[in-house]
Amino acid sequence: MAGFVREFTKGIVISNPIFILALGLCPALAVSNTIDNALGMSVGVIFVLLGANIIISLIRKSVPNIVRIPTFVVIIASFVTIVSLVFQAYVPALHESLGIYLPLIAVNCIILGRAEAFASKNPVTASIADALGISVGFALALLLIAFLREILGTGGLEVAGTSLFTLPVLSEHPLALFVLSPGAFLVIGLLLALFRRIGAIKHE
Amino acid sequence: MVSMLRRFLPVLYITLVVLITVTLLNFTESITRAQIEARQHERIEALLFELFPEMSDFFFEDDLYTIFDNSTEIGYAFLATGVGYAGDIDVLVGLEDATTLKGITVVSHQETPGLGDRITESDFINQFRGLDIDGVALRKDGGQVDGATGATISSQAVVDAVREAAMEKIKELR
Repeated sequence: MAGFVREFTKGIVISNPIFILALGLCPALAVSNTIDNALGMSVGVIFVLLGANIIISLIRKSVPNIVRIPTFVVIIASFVTIVSLVFQAYVPALHESLGIYLPLIAVNCIILGRAEAFASKNPVTASIADALGISVGFALALLLIAFLREILGTGGLEVAGTSLFTLPVLSEHPLALFVLSPGAFLVIGLLLALFRRIGAIKHE
Repeated sequence: MVSMLRRFLPVLYITLVVLITVTLLNFTESITRAQIEARQHERIEALLFELFPEMSDFFFEDDLYTIFDNSTEIGYAFLATGVGYAGDIDVLVGLEDATTLKGITVVSHQETPGLGDRITESDFINQFRGLDIDGVALRKDGGQVDGATGATISSQAVVDAVREAAMEKIKELR
């Protein structure tokens, strides 16, 4: 049980996929413009990573080494296709706003990275903890970026169509830059610097 | 013989993996298909309603929507695609008759928020209501449409797409 907790928390803090490992930056930049998009992407990644880690951990002893990577990719891509179909059927608006970045989860290096580095070497329970930790770490990072970008870029916060709050001056003159791609680079860059600094302080 | 088998084992393995996943995907697709089609139908219906509020039914054939109000034909609608600043702009165009537009509505686009996306605002869109087909051009080109401020390329793309598609459909309808 202690092992489970350790594998889980590792992904959130000390090997946070975005802020520490700097993996999966493409979706982190592209779909962190609103909280809704960040939530949708996170749900997709949690499902795919969990599914892929479980299956890969189960077959890890039977898979021939030479076709290891192709097998992992087929399994990951299948989970992504399932997510894509389900989103299209039940949350079409989200499916549309995530656009190409939903199918691109298949080539997200976080997923193949965990399959290769963890699930192919560890038993199922540990792989589940690893998948949950890493994807929750990814989700939290994505939500933090989206939170800052949506507030700065629109002057308010909206979750699933209901407005949580609007700031007085900022909503009339929003900094549209933060909703656009350059804003994503600025926010992620500053957050990365901040997390590095915190890490450095702890090290001393 | 044993070494032969060992060589083919990986091939068999990945073939098996692919067969299993394809079966599962087929299964998922068959469950979600009806729902996906229903959603797409709903979406098109809502867009057609924006153009023809009096619509009671529509019929789709050869990329053309025929709009009915209690079994009387009241117009046509079709999709037009223009090349905008950041990608394709899909516009649904409504025709009242062979010379007059009923209106247009932007279905999807990737234009810049705050600039190019003004083509979706009513100030721009409403100019197409009841517009004669010959007037579908920007004012600088002798037409009757004012481009949206800050969205020159996007406005041009919409106007060109609507005019070209409408001309073509009118030719087919005659």
